[in-house]
Amino acid sequence: MPPKVDREKCDGCKAEKESLCEQICPGDLMTLAEDKKAYCRMPRDCWDCMSCIKACPKGALETRIPYQLGYHVAKLIPMMGTNTITWTCIDINGKVERFQYINRGMLD
Amino acid sequence: MQKTIPKIGLFIYEQGGRLARAIDLDAVIQRLARIKNVTRCEVLTDLAAPLPSIKEDFTSDKFNRILWVGKFSDYQKKTIQSELSSAGLNPYMHEWCDIEEQGIGIDGVDLGIQTQKAILIIQMSLARTRLLEPLEPLELPAIDAALIIGAGVSGLHTATSFMELGKKVYLVEKESGVGGKVASLHRLYPRICDPRCGLEFEIQKIRESDMVEVHTLSKVKSLEGSPGNFDVRIEKQPRYVSEEKCNACGECMKVCPAVIPEEQRSRESAFINETSQQVLNSLKSEKKAIHPAVPMPYPPTFLIERQSCPSECRECVKVCPAQAIELEQTSSEMAFKVGAVIVTTGWDPYQLSKVEEYGYGIYPNVISNLEMERLLESPPAIEEIGFIQCAGSRDERHLNYCSSVCCSVALKHVLYLKEKLPDARCYIFYQDIRTPGFDEELYQKVKSLHNVIFIRGNPSTVKPGDDGKLKIRTEDTFSGKEIDLSLDLLVLAGGMMPSQGSFEIAQLLNLPQNNFGFFESHLQCHPEESQRTGILVGGACRGPMNISQSIESSHRAAMEVLPFLNRTILIEPKYPVLDLTKCDKCKRCMEECPFLSYVFDENGFPSLDLTKCRQCGNCMGICPLIAISLRNNTIKQIAAQIQALKSSFMGKEEPVILAFLCENDAYHAAKSAVEYGLPVPPNVFFIKVPCAGSVNNALVADALAFGIDGVLIAGCKDGQCHYVKGNQLVKTRSGDLSDKLQKMMIDPQRVRFESLEIRDSKKYVELVKSYIEELRAMGPNPFKS
Repeated sequence: MPPKVDREKCDGCKAEKESLCEQICPGDLMTLAEDKKAYCRMPRDCWDCMSCIKACPKGALETRIPYQLGYHVAKLIPMMGTNTITWTCIDINGKVERFQYINRGMLD
Repeated sequence: MQKTIPKIGLFIYEQGGRLARAIDLDAVIQRLARIKNVTRCEVLTDLAAPLPSIKEDFTSDKFNRILWVGKFSDYQKKTIQSELSSAGLNPYMHEWCDIEEQGIGIDGVDLGIQTQKAILIIQMSLARTRLLEPLEPLELPAIDAALIIGAGVSGLHTATSFMELGKKVYLVEKESGVGGKVASLHRLYPRICDPRCGLEFEIQKIRESDMVEVHTLSKVKSLEGSPGNFDVRIEKQPRYVSEEKCNACGECMKVCPAVIPEEQRSRESAFINETSQQVLNSLKSEKKAIHPAVPMPYPPTFLIERQSCPSECRECVKVCPAQAIELEQTSSEMAFKVGAVIVTTGWDPYQLSKVEEYGYGIYPNVISNLEMERLLESPPAIEEIGFIQCAGSRDERHLNYCSSVCCSVALKHVLYLKEKLPDARCYIFYQDIRTPGFDEELYQKVKSLHNVIFIRGNPSTVKPGDDGKLKIRTEDTFSGKEIDLSLDLLVLAGGMMPSQGSFEIAQLLNLPQNNFGFFESHLQCHPEESQRTGILVGGACRGPMNISQSIESSHRAAMEVLPFLNRTILIEPKYPVLDLTKCDKCKRCMEECPFLSYVFDENGFPSLDLTKCRQCGNCMGICPLIAISLRNNTIKQIAAQIQALKSSFMGKEEPVILAFLCENDAYHAAKSAVEYGLPVPPNVFFIKVPCAGSVNNALVADALAFGIDGVLIAGCKDGQCHYVKGNQLVKTRSGDLSDKLQKMMIDPQRVRFESLEIRDSKKYVELVKSYIEELRAMGPNPFKS
């Protein structure tokens, strides 16, 4: 399932040739529409790696959890620090679990 | 580069038992001495005595950087730095940690908590000290020449000042001569002198010097390069007279058959009568197609307006004794290098024909205040004359600001007119008379004159009367009565607006303008800056001002460019560095840099122009890949500081706030809160940043991930940021993060942006206190362990 794009937040990376989500997507699926908002051009090919979600500096992208894992209330949200990452998992009943890791340093 | 293992000397400076009263110093020392990389750790009660032993330890390589804890005066810091740099320690390898400004030593806080907090603060500074690097100030070559655009009164005065300082000046003017608007004025108050006299005085200096190159009939075509090394190209229109040969004898003017009226204004002939004909005659001035430079005859070369020449006429060529006429001249280009640019493009009068109700351009005896200057040289016999102040100024349909000089100008006109025509009756229609400063004296003088009537209220209609006079209807807003007058002459006080040249230059050099088109600047702190380093603006292109103000303004601009004209530009080595291996050319740094300091390098990566950079760190704040870091204030250092902050040192339930404070104001507010002894809660830790805009979202995320309960980012109020918009940028960014927190089912208020001014220390304490209460209500950060 491709990521959901908050069209108000997305600034198309200031209409760059390649937005950050486009650059990072391993399948080269994300791209900018005519109105300079990101979208996934081949929704069926997205394998939910969540690279684009971590990369988006505006927080405009959100994972759509595949229905086999959870319905629409369920969410999986990463938050990237300099060398930390936190994960917030919300299941279909609204139960929240959180994880925090020190990452392989982005700073080194 | 060889990596050195950080070895830190840690010295706590204890003055008169101040620290011992607040914290358990022995416990602190014991705790800190065990930390990795700390090779010497001790309490100093005096600075002078242990300095030799510190020096000795440094030379024997016991440590290679020093963290100084405690309060040091600037003098002490400088002494320590210079003493140790004589032993070979780079002055940038010192870190200063004032634990007292963070609130250690405030009454009423438990000794245990204070001690814990002190240890944390010192640990944070240690994390920072570990990553210090030796830096050297940079010296970049610069050219000691300046370009001044616009040779009006501001440009001329600035040029001569530079000349006297021994700096080469290129003065570029689009007209054929120098002098600008001031040269067309008649007399100046209060000395009643001719403004040309003052201008001539400056021109005389230029004439005798070879430091000033005047390029008239020229426009700047392009400006490239960076401050200190600008490449300028100018385009010069042909004069058709050789500047080398012409000696301004004037023979050519005698034979020239083509007469051109200086100003062609449509006046509808139906309204011309005896008085208005006199007015028109006084205003009329003609010149030949070949004539001296205008407005001032400098450079002393004549010029030909070829479009007015009769075809095939060669009279001037025949008569010129110096053979200076070169009719085949074409426009030429010139290039030169300068270190800095001063823009003094001045003002234009507002087009009075737009103020339709006063009939300027239709009735011949409605004239502008600039025309009145000319008329005053030989005024026709007139009996009744009206002056309308604010013809278009302070009017939202026209110029929605006060042009600041027109009141004084009208009063000056009345004064001179009454000298020549003592019986003339003058009506002044005004909204408010604004005569700032010493011009009040002028106002009083005019008020005391006989037959000068002030009417508060601008006329609603101006119509031609049967007798050739103007019929005016106005309301006196004091008495509420309608007044009908018939006047011989009506003078409109047109406002000042940015000149056409200002708009052209703004576009060419990418200079920001305000709503009215004047050059935008930070009025209090950097009044003459243009947001483009090395390009300063001075004079009336910055806003309406009188002659002395514009000269002052351009001189202030000149002072500010002097650092670029010194042959070398000194650069503080704390500039941002871009890690090209991480950068993926998203270009956000280029977009958000308030001073356009980034340019593309040959591979399409952003590259920093060090001379333009003000080292505010906004690029470091925006970079989504955290690839940009200010030297010795790197993202890595701040991240290490955050990691060193243990969020549960007061127990899990007690909230801990991390504040990022802008060093221009919020930091001072926090610091003085402690100095005034305000009860700053122990829950808050702060990190000083050069601008709130330099706080990267990744750092805030880090803080939350490490369990810090609330992150406060405090910067300037809107419109007060020294770096133009850093506060707005960080506000938007932290807003994005708050939205994300909401999705994560974390209270978005855990990240807050607040505006603090430098004296807001009480507000700071209140803010922190209320924030702590809020955080208590929210409960601990879910990531807190």
